[in-house]
Amino acid sequence: MNNYVKTALAVALSACTFSMAVAQDKVISVGLNGDIRSTDPGVNRDDNTDAVMMHIVEGLVAYREDTSVAPMLASAVAVSPDGLRYTFTLRDGVHFQNGQLLTAKDVQWTWQRYLDPKTQWRCLAEFDGRGAAKIVDVAAPDANTVVFTLDQANGLFLAAMARPDCAGSGILHPDSLAADGSWRAPIGTGPFTLGKWQKGQYVELERFKAYSPRAEATADGYTGNKQAFVDKVRFEVIPDSASAKAALLSGGVDLLPDVTAMDAAQLKQVKNLQVQVSPIMTISGLLFQTRDPLLKDVRIRRAVALSLDYSQMVAALSDGLSVPNNSIIPTASPYYDSTAHQGYTYNLDEARRLLKEAGYRGEKIRMLVNKRYPQMFDMGLLSQAMTQAAGLNIEMETLEWGTQLERYQTGSYQMMSFSYSGRFDAAQSYESVIGDKDKEPRKVWDNPEALAILREAQREVDPAKRRPLFDQLHTLMLKDVPMVVIYNGTAIGVMGKRVEGYRSWPVAKPRLWGVKLADTSK
Amino acid sequence: MAVPTLLLISVIVFALIRLIPGDPALLMLGDMADPQSLADMRSSLGLDHSVVTQYLIWIKSVLSGDLGVSISSRQPVLDLLVERFSVSATVVLVAVLLATLLAVPVGLLAAWKQNSAMDLGLVVTATLLLSVPSFWLGLLLLYVFGIQLGWLPVIGYVGFGSDPMKALTYVVLPIVTLTLVEFGAIARMARASTIEVLRLEYIAHARAKGLSEGAVLWKHALRNAFAPTWTLIGLILGNLLGGIAVLETVFTLPGIGRLMVDAIFSRDYPVLQGCLLLITCIYVLVNLLVDLLYPLFDPRVKL
Amino acid sequence: MNLKTPALPGVAAIPPRRRRRYPPLNALIGGGLLAALVLLALLGVVWTPYDPLKLDLLSRLHAPNAVHWLGTDEFGRDVFSRLIIGARTSLWISLLSVSVAVVCGTLIGMLAGYLRGWTDRILMMLNDALLAFPGILMALGIMAIVGASQYGIVLALGIAYTPSVVRVVRGSVLSLRELEFIEASRVIGNSELYTMFRHITPNCLAPLCVLATSMFGWALLSESALSFLGLGVPPPAATWGSMLSASRTYISNAPWLGIFPGIFISLTLLAINLFGDALRDRLDPRMRK
Repeated sequence: MNNYVKTALAVALSACTFSMAVAQDKVISVGLNGDIRSTDPGVNRDDNTDAVMMHIVEGLVAYREDTSVAPMLASAVAVSPDGLRYTFTLRDGVHFQNGQLLTAKDVQWTWQRYLDPKTQWRCLAEFDGRGAAKIVDVAAPDANTVVFTLDQANGLFLAAMARPDCAGSGILHPDSLAADGSWRAPIGTGPFTLGKWQKGQYVELERFKAYSPRAEATADGYTGNKQAFVDKVRFEVIPDSASAKAALLSGGVDLLPDVTAMDAAQLKQVKNLQVQVSPIMTISGLLFQTRDPLLKDVRIRRAVALSLDYSQMVAALSDGLSVPNNSIIPTASPYYDSTAHQGYTYNLDEARRLLKEAGYRGEKIRMLVNKRYPQMFDMGLLSQAMTQAAGLNIEMETLEWGTQLERYQTGSYQMMSFSYSGRFDAAQSYESVIGDKDKEPRKVWDNPEALAILREAQREVDPAKRRPLFDQLHTLMLKDVPMVVIYNGTAIGVMGKRVEGYRSWPVAKPRLWGVKLADTSK
Repeated sequence: MAVPTLLLISVIVFALIRLIPGDPALLMLGDMADPQSLADMRSSLGLDHSVVTQYLIWIKSVLSGDLGVSISSRQPVLDLLVERFSVSATVVLVAVLLATLLAVPVGLLAAWKQNSAMDLGLVVTATLLLSVPSFWLGLLLLYVFGIQLGWLPVIGYVGFGSDPMKALTYVVLPIVTLTLVEFGAIARMARASTIEVLRLEYIAHARAKGLSEGAVLWKHALRNAFAPTWTLIGLILGNLLGGIAVLETVFTLPGIGRLMVDAIFSRDYPVLQGCLLLITCIYVLVNLLVDLLYPLFDPRVKL
Repeated sequence: MNLKTPALPGVAAIPPRRRRRYPPLNALIGGGLLAALVLLALLGVVWTPYDPLKLDLLSRLHAPNAVHWLGTDEFGRDVFSRLIIGARTSLWISLLSVSVAVVCGTLIGMLAGYLRGWTDRILMMLNDALLAFPGILMALGIMAIVGASQYGIVLALGIAYTPSVVRVVRGSVLSLRELEFIEASRVIGNSELYTMFRHITPNCLAPLCVLATSMFGWALLSESALSFLGLGVPPPAATWGSMLSASRTYISNAPWLGIFPGIFISLTLLAINLFGDALRDRLDPRMRK
């Protein structure tokens, strides 16, 4: 009886898997920890949306593997000596996914749409003069040339344009909109087209057969030769990390692009899996409220910084995959140099001395953490335990992520364990922490001197002149201790053995072009 | 009675979720939010009105049949509800039905043979099942059947409309888990109420008339003993829909419980309001239905 | 108090105690188990094999062995020690939440049942509304508002369970208040308030006790469910629920992390169920043999 049931079940199940294998050709399924928000690139978006949309659309420029910026749809970019005019020459013979040829008019149309406040483009503030320079004009003098004119020089113009959260300022065909101007579906130039989106369950992408790749030999970050080899990519929505792991183990998905270090250590031991690691640009650390009655004393902040055993902590948090970094400039950045490498040295005696000098008597310090992002939680937990040795009395308070974000935004906290999402330019990294607390309470480092240096670095286009400015900022920041940067995260992709050619990279988003599936017919 | 309750609930829900710090605009913009884009986003979501105005706008559109659009996915809330509800309802209904069909006869038999080895066995099993957290049981089953044996898919869901066989493989484990857990509660209730009924005079009377034990049990005992069990089943049904969120998290089922939890975390006000409206409607309806059907099972109660 | 009221489901209605040589088996096992668990919780106050909060990053995820009887967790903390102090936190949280629910629920229920009229109608409408609300979601919402502290959970669960108590208490009050001895108390000139507390409260106790025991079980379960959904007791404190929910990431390579807290939760629930059964048998005249 029991055996009969077992056999029947086994037959039924194998019949299912068999029919699946016959019906489809090369489909790679990828775990995604949440559904996409929309198919409107850079407008109604989040990390997952960006990751999926970057397969469908492409911008004029894009990030290389090392997070420098290179042309993508453009074949060349020329900047006028005053830094106000950017001339993009488009590549020939690039097709949209509806078969139309890409022209300068499409670029102009796309940018006019992005710059229209009604579109609610995520990155509008970067281009309308609020954050940086303002785009005064986008012109299309001929079918292959687009000229952008700015009102002032901006060293970050191209870098902002390439940002994945702006969807790389992806160029769209006007037919992406319905006749009434509402959003229909993305028609881009990318190596995949949008297939079926079953909300809350999966998003399918199909290979764009008439894709026009660049001439380079291989893919390079978000640019290079982005030829796709799989017929379909199926992003499976699996919110729960334990379930995602189970799915990978049972072969339900081929690839998890972003697992925690601890999970990776565990999955590495499974025979049929391979792991791909890359440092990324997220900045993780402890934030202080420098206006707090207790923490306004730099000696106490410094004591916290000195009581952390960085190497042991980071080894545990990243399972040996990351290195400690006390600089706001990520280790993967081209600006991470010997000055940025200098940090705090673990020294409990000095920490105790500072605390004594500051008259600290075990007053309670509350540190906010959340459970949405396990590494923030673990970082808080380890810090709490380590600072105890120096006599600090830190108490953790777990908040729901949205609540913690609100506290971050309003600056109402003593300490929090926090991660900044990846910024790809050193100036952007500093920009996220430096500012006037009266105007923007979320900024952790309120120092006019630092702000002045930052402004200079933002205007400067020449990397050689920017470097000393960043070094200066780092030295100042180590002295002020408005926060303790602890490390930069890692992107760890884990995949089945049949996946070939997948790489993790500092931008931390999965890329499924260039990926092949080996034939492992059982 | 039901209408003021629903209205009251809508007010409570509306106020409660806005008390949760953080708002959808903030969550969408994350750590990069500057004050200007935050304000823009808030006004585009209609969050710049006062809460009272927001409520009036919402209730007005609900009365005209429009539940609004999800903030995070931009999907109409009604579509979302129908889609997610059907998943949860399938699992819950099948599981409760299975549990009832198994538990009531077993409870009846155990009561009939009260204090026998079989009775003891049932009581112990039922109590044990009742004492296992459903998600723990779910995890164990997932581990054994999904990972170790590899018989069943571990994640995902396929609608019954598209591929019934495949759909079945996805819901087997959640259904089994729920059935086991609810079996305990229902069997105990069935046993207890049957014991009570069997002690009544009319059963002795029926026996004295020379009816077979089977007839006594089936015709007389079951009919009366089922009434309290029926109430319990109604209670279970009403509560499960809200309580299934954890199980849906374990099995990654796109059900309504998960939808609500996600909506709380992303402050997706319209979705949460819609969900709770639906859940409470169902709760009220199920209770009404149980009350209406009660006389069918308990001849002592006449409407 | 010695009036004959056979249909009354109250303490007063219990006829002279029948002499039993042994207490029933379920009370024995349930009570014994509960006592053992409480002892374990108390033990945690004075002794644990290791410091349950001490991180040891060099011995993470060790399987049960002679040094760590039940293994270590992802931070190298001793699982057995955490289970012991977890017993205290878990049981304490459940106990407190049930107390909050019982106190609030009794007050509201008595008010509604005794005053009747408009007060009753409005209170019950509110109560029904809250009852229709999925408890775990309400708790989740409250936790998101007040923050995930130990007392946040107590408050959240307490509020979530109050409506059931209100129901039961009001029901008992309504059926009690027409009885002769209550009437008598009023006739001899006792005030309403006096009558309520002197006579009605004790008589609600039986159904309340039964409800409270099952609520204790629910609270224990809900605490772990809340952890599971991401809002549990804040670290570094341990509860069985938070241990269980943290373990699910390691279910394939460190199953001991989940199995032991799971067993302890189940044992407690078992004890509570058995004890509750015994209590019901004792207090509910209809269930006696």
